[in-house]
Amino acid sequence: MPIFQLNVNGKRHTVDVDGNMPLLWALRDILGLKGTKFGCGVAQCGACTVHLDGRAVRSCSVDVGVAQLSKITTIEGLSYDGSHPCQRAWVELGVPQCGFCQPGQIMSAAALLAANPHPDDAQIDAAMRGNICRCGTYPRIREAIHKAAGS
Amino acid sequence: MSVIYRVTRRDFLRDAGVAAGALVFGSYLLPENLFGKDVKADLGKVKEILHNHLTLNPFVAIQPLDGTIVIVTFRPEMGQGIRSTLAAVLADELEADWSRVKLHQADCDSLAFALAFPYKIPPGTKLPYPFDIPPFTEPPTDKPMYVIGGEGSQFADSSRSMTAYFQAIRLTGAGIKLVFLRAAALKFGVDISQLRAQQHKIYHDASGRSVEYHHLLLEAGKVAIPLANEAEDALKQNPSEWRFIGKEGMPFVDAPNMVMGKVEYGADINVPGMLTAMVERCHVANGVLVSFDATEALAVPGVRKVTAVLPPGLAPGGVGRAFVPHAGVAVIADNTWAALKGRRALRDHIKWDYPKDNDHSHYESSAFRDELEKSTNAAGDVVRKKGDAMSAIASAVTQVKADYYVPLLAQAPMEPPMAIALLKNDHSLEVWAPTQNPDASQQMAGRLAFGIPEKDWAKEDMIARMRKDVTLHMPLVGGGFGRKSKPDYIGEAALLAAQNPGVPIRVQWTREDDIQFSYYNAVSSQHLEAGLDADGHPTGLLLRSAFTSFLATIFPPSQAEARAAFFDSGKDKYGSGIERAQGLEDMPYDLSNIQIENCPATNHIRTGWMRSVANIYHAFGICSFAGEMAVAAGRDCKDYLLELIGKGRILPLPSEGVKRFRNNELPLEMISVPIEGGKIRQVVPGFPPDTQRLIDVVKRVATESGWDEKVKRYKGMKGRGLGIAAHRSFLSYAAIVADVTLTDSDDPNGAKELKVNEIWGVIDCGLAVNPDRVRAQMEGGINYGLSYGLLGEITVKDGGVMQHNFDDYPVLRMHQAPKINVYIMKNDHPPSGVGEPPTPAVAPAVANAIVAAGGPRIRAIPFAAKVDSDKTKVIVR
Repeated sequence: MPIFQLNVNGKRHTVDVDGNMPLLWALRDILGLKGTKFGCGVAQCGACTVHLDGRAVRSCSVDVGVAQLSKITTIEGLSYDGSHPCQRAWVELGVPQCGFCQPGQIMSAAALLAANPHPDDAQIDAAMRGNICRCGTYPRIREAIHKAAGS
Repeated sequence: MSVIYRVTRRDFLRDAGVAAGALVFGSYLLPENLFGKDVKADLGKVKEILHNHLTLNPFVAIQPLDGTIVIVTFRPEMGQGIRSTLAAVLADELEADWSRVKLHQADCDSLAFALAFPYKIPPGTKLPYPFDIPPFTEPPTDKPMYVIGGEGSQFADSSRSMTAYFQAIRLTGAGIKLVFLRAAALKFGVDISQLRAQQHKIYHDASGRSVEYHHLLLEAGKVAIPLANEAEDALKQNPSEWRFIGKEGMPFVDAPNMVMGKVEYGADINVPGMLTAMVERCHVANGVLVSFDATEALAVPGVRKVTAVLPPGLAPGGVGRAFVPHAGVAVIADNTWAALKGRRALRDHIKWDYPKDNDHSHYESSAFRDELEKSTNAAGDVVRKKGDAMSAIASAVTQVKADYYVPLLAQAPMEPPMAIALLKNDHSLEVWAPTQNPDASQQMAGRLAFGIPEKDWAKEDMIARMRKDVTLHMPLVGGGFGRKSKPDYIGEAALLAAQNPGVPIRVQWTREDDIQFSYYNAVSSQHLEAGLDADGHPTGLLLRSAFTSFLATIFPPSQAEARAAFFDSGKDKYGSGIERAQGLEDMPYDLSNIQIENCPATNHIRTGWMRSVANIYHAFGICSFAGEMAVAAGRDCKDYLLELIGKGRILPLPSEGVKRFRNNELPLEMISVPIEGGKIRQVVPGFPPDTQRLIDVVKRVATESGWDEKVKRYKGMKGRGLGIAAHRSFLSYAAIVADVTLTDSDDPNGAKELKVNEIWGVIDCGLAVNPDRVRAQMEGGINYGLSYGLLGEITVKDGGVMQHNFDDYPVLRMHQAPKINVYIMKNDHPPSGVGEPPTPAVAPAVANAIVAAGGPRIRAIPFAAKVDSDKTKVIVR
């Protein structure tokens, strides 16, 4: 199998996998980074959201071969101590319920705020519509993004 | 009420990091206030019975060096916040300093956490419901009975974690606090009345002395462990003394790890040497595997093995097969991607067959809808009757009739089902799996892994063996909504583990597996008729409901008698007592003439339950119909709803022919029973359906939403409307107001685009122990109701589910989620359900709002005729 160089959270990793293995499975099964979640496998739910060069993408639908060209950031690399403004706002407002989708929600929100530091509700809706939460925490996610934008 | 024991075995919490020399308290959880103050003499005997027959539950440990208090949490955590909340309740009464508390998640150990009923009741004692049937009426003399039994104690279902455990956990905390008070009295040589406990310390104010809890361990070993009634006296007597209970700012210990991706869900667990399996299943219920060709799958790099999941002779899952997995072929591989690719290569090389006596391969959901509607348009089994509804309707000035339909629905929790199982050399089984139903999961895993013949599954010694030989770890559950109450996916892992001894096997479901192999919420048809007099007042109501009962999943037709006997749960093809008690038999409107019927429905697919269960279709019917009656009478919907509910009262169900009302497994009346040697003051409080509480939430939601003013204002506006609905479920009362806008769309038939602008929700859940999580459940439960109401539908063709993933089974997304305003009623009632009650009234409130906005009356879920490709618009039917 081919060997790929992955730059994840500022660290270089060499993985020896099938070139069309989705980045999600390389992160989870090969590199042991379990914060990125599997929810649908077809870029419909956003649970697997990571950053490629700062852009939010669904890691279930990006091949390892493509991802090796980019700087990859996962929830583990967003901050090492939960100090990212989104993470802080998420905890302060008690956003999570079951918590499973929240790493993906936070990665989408962080990418949004990096590109648009003060989004309005419509911009939040547009940026976050790819992230499903079955617990229905949407009102608090919206509030937390505003809070993180203010901090 | 709990009985506390000092535990002498010091090593049982080793994996919780409890040091040698720690003081550990166990507790037998007993129903609320089981021991009255007048039965002290009896307590010795009670403790003896408990000690001999119950498993001790290790609850709380105090570390000797730093005083850290370890609290064992035992209910499945799936987003309710119950882990933190129950621990905080205990810490509150114990006066523990929360910064020095650590939580430890228990494994499945159902008997340890059961609520026991330890008394021998004199023969002939008449107990109120639900204790009016064996074993309570024929108490066995040699073992305890349970109020909440083995399976129920860790079963996160029916929104009852707090209802069942609030008081028992409080008493455990208060009792341990009392131990430290007694220990300090001994140490200081003062009377206990001069001492007070505060935040990990006992203070003797008169002398200015104080001592940390963990510096009292020696003395605590010498003092008498409090009797249960003494613990009751040690409770904080005034709610103003509570630090956490009922207050804002309750701890939520898992949140910081959740946002860092550090929480370990089942799929994040790595057991050394673990392989991953994906299963290709038969799409038709009860279908059997004939043959498969693994050549192509085995050629995929990383694939190790391709194997049938079920052993020969075990009938596959489906109708009447409870939690037995569907027939399937597993691809076992080094990692998830290899397993996925291997399964793709296998898919077209499997032959299935459908047994003649159980063939569901012709099941079509559209044809079945016609069948159900035919069923509710004929007379059914009368389950409640008052006066003569048929004559009242026939002779009424105005007649209102409507049929409502709710399709099969899939729960679709964000975390797809998964399980890891390992069969060890000593023939014990270790399992890691997210589950709402640990006890049933443990039983199912053991039965299948150990190859127990099916006829022996229910035998007592076999149940005991599973509890002993199967270790089930309970990671956080990434959403359940009822799906993870059914452990078929855990059974798959157990069967594959049995084929591969010594190798941990992880069965990972995909979203497609989850959508296509759910235990679906029942498909239902509701037929309603009402008569109105000349002034529009209601004179009679007929309510008929047909739904595919989940009992048909649990009991095969051959066990029809067992099914009927299951708490008087109903004949084959009819609904169970549980389902009938969820919005059918307890229909709250007060009319002179009422007839409620349950009509037959046959199952062709696994039916289970989803957040709020039968309330989903019953509330959709009856709450929509209240709106239809109001429109027919030319009245305001809120005013008419209040007229329908009438005066506040306890629903007189027995006098209207309801034989056994299953009140969420809890009594209708306060239980006070005589026992040998004394009188129990109270066992469990009654939780009867009380329409005054329903009236109060309706009035509150009308006030908070500005109903009267908005209704007037919206009358002059095109396409804007308010709708209202209210429903009792899981012992709580919820009322919803929805504000919607309809606008023109590009639909060729002129259908309108719907936007839900805002929702107001009020809940009366008795004491809101953790107000922030109650609000969170209201927000989430409202969005869940909105999701299935607008978008939810599972359809079936040739016995197989047509939907696959979130693209064709859409769920609510951020841009469709309205502003939600939540209000919690304050009263003196004990805590009741919170997880499910917010959901049922949402869809009918929106349906009523659509009519108010000038749109059509929608009588079927989902409301969306179609969802456009980028899922921005909901075009109503």
